Amino acid sequence: MDSKRSPERAQPVAGGEGRRAPVPVKIVIAGGFGVGKTTTVGAISEITPLTTEAVMTSVAAEIDRTGAVPEKTTTTVALDLGCITIDPSLKLYLFGTPGQDRFGFMWPDLSLGALGALVICDTRRLDSCYPAIDYFEKIELPFVVALNLFDGTLAHDLADVRWALAIREQIPVITFDARDRLSVRDALLAVLHHARDVSSGKERARPRPAPIRTGDSRPSLRIAASDHPYRR
Amino acid sequence: MTGNPPDNPDQPGAARVRPYLPGAEQPPPPQQPAPHEYQQTPDHGALRPYLLTGGRVSSTGVALEIEAQVVTTELGQATREGLAYEKRDIVELCDAPLSVAETAARLGLHIGVVRVLVGDLVALGHLAVLRPEVGLASDVETIEKVIRGLQAIS
Repeated sequence: MDSKRSPERAQPVAGGEGRRAPVPVKIVIAGGFGVGKTTTVGAISEITPLTTEAVMTSVAAEIDRTGAVPEKTTTTVALDLGCITIDPSLKLYLFGTPGQDRFGFMWPDLSLGALGALVICDTRRLDSCYPAIDYFEKIELPFVVALNLFDGTLAHDLADVRWALAIREQIPVITFDARDRLSVRDALLAVLHHARDVSSGKERARPRPAPIRTGDSRPSLRIAASDHPYRR
Repeated sequence: MTGNPPDNPDQPGAARVRPYLPGAEQPPPPQQPAPHEYQQTPDHGALRPYLLTGGRVSSTGVALEIEAQVVTTELGQATREGLAYEKRDIVELCDAPLSVAETAARLGLHIGVVRVLVGDLVALGHLAVLRPEVGLASDVETIEKVIRGLQAIS
C-alpha cells in the first residue's frame, strides 16, 4: 500500500538532539571461505564485528537454485558486519560475505548502492573468488582484488594472478595483511580510489574489450544477473 | 508466499531454546534476560525465520536497504508499550540510530526478517528511516570524503 512512497532523503529525523542518523555508505568484502574476511572486517571496524544471518526467501529461491534438493527453500548465510564512522554525518559499513555463488541471493542486497568491493583471494585456492569477480564485473561494481599474505610471503606473482583471474588491467591487484589495521585501511583506500576513478569517468572504456579467457579457467556463475530482482 | 501464516504473527511461540539440542533437558533459565541480550547467539533454529513475520518476505511499507539507518520516532517512543516481542525490541534498540543490519545482529534475528518488521514499523510511524540516496555510491565527493576519513585512521 505504501510501496510507492519516495525514499526519505537526508532530512532530520524526529527526535532531534543527538539522534540524527548518519548517511550510510558501504563496501563489500567478498571472497571464499577462510580467506580472511572476518579478520579483515575485525581489523578495522570500530565495533566488534557483528555476525548476522540471512535467509533465502522463496523469491530468491529461484535464483539460488537448490538443485538436487528441491524441497530446500531456506539457506542460511552469516554476514560479518563492521563499521567506521567517517564523521557524524557519514558512516561506512563493511559487509563481509561468503563468495560462493550459492550465497548469491544476498549479493544484490549487499552490492546495490555499495561504493565498491574488496575481493580477497587466497592464491592457493584462487577459484574460490571467481564467483565474486564474475558478479561484480557483471553488475559493474568497482572492485579491487586483494591477496591476503597469510605468512608474509606471496606464493605467486601478481601478474600471474591477474592472468589467471582474467581481469581487466584497470582493476587493481594488491597484497595486504588482513590482521593489520593499516594494511586493511590501505586495501579499502585502494577500493575507494578505484571507485573514484571509475565514477569520475577516468575509466569509461566502454564497450569494454572482452577479457582474454583461457579455456574454461573461469567457470561461469550460475546466477544470471539479469534474473535478479534489483536489476534495472 | 510459501510460508504458513501462524494464527497470530505477533506471538511466534516461546521457543527461544532449540528443543532438540543435546543438553536441552535442563529447562531454560527462569529469569528472562534484558531484551537486547537474550540472543547473543542466534538460536532460532527451531523456528522457521519468517514465522516472525507471518510468513511474509516483504513488508507492507518500503523495501529497505540493509545499511539504511533506523531511528525510533516520538510516536514509537510513546507507544512502545503497546508493541510485542521483536517489534518492541527493535523500537527500544533504535532509540539511537542503527542500521537494519546492526539491528538484526544485535537482536540475533535474521536480516530479512528484521527488514520486514522494520518496514512495518516505518509504515506505522513508529520508526523513521534514513535511506542511502540513489547515486550516492557513484558520487565522487562522497567517495573522497570517505577516503579522507579513512586516511585519518592511524
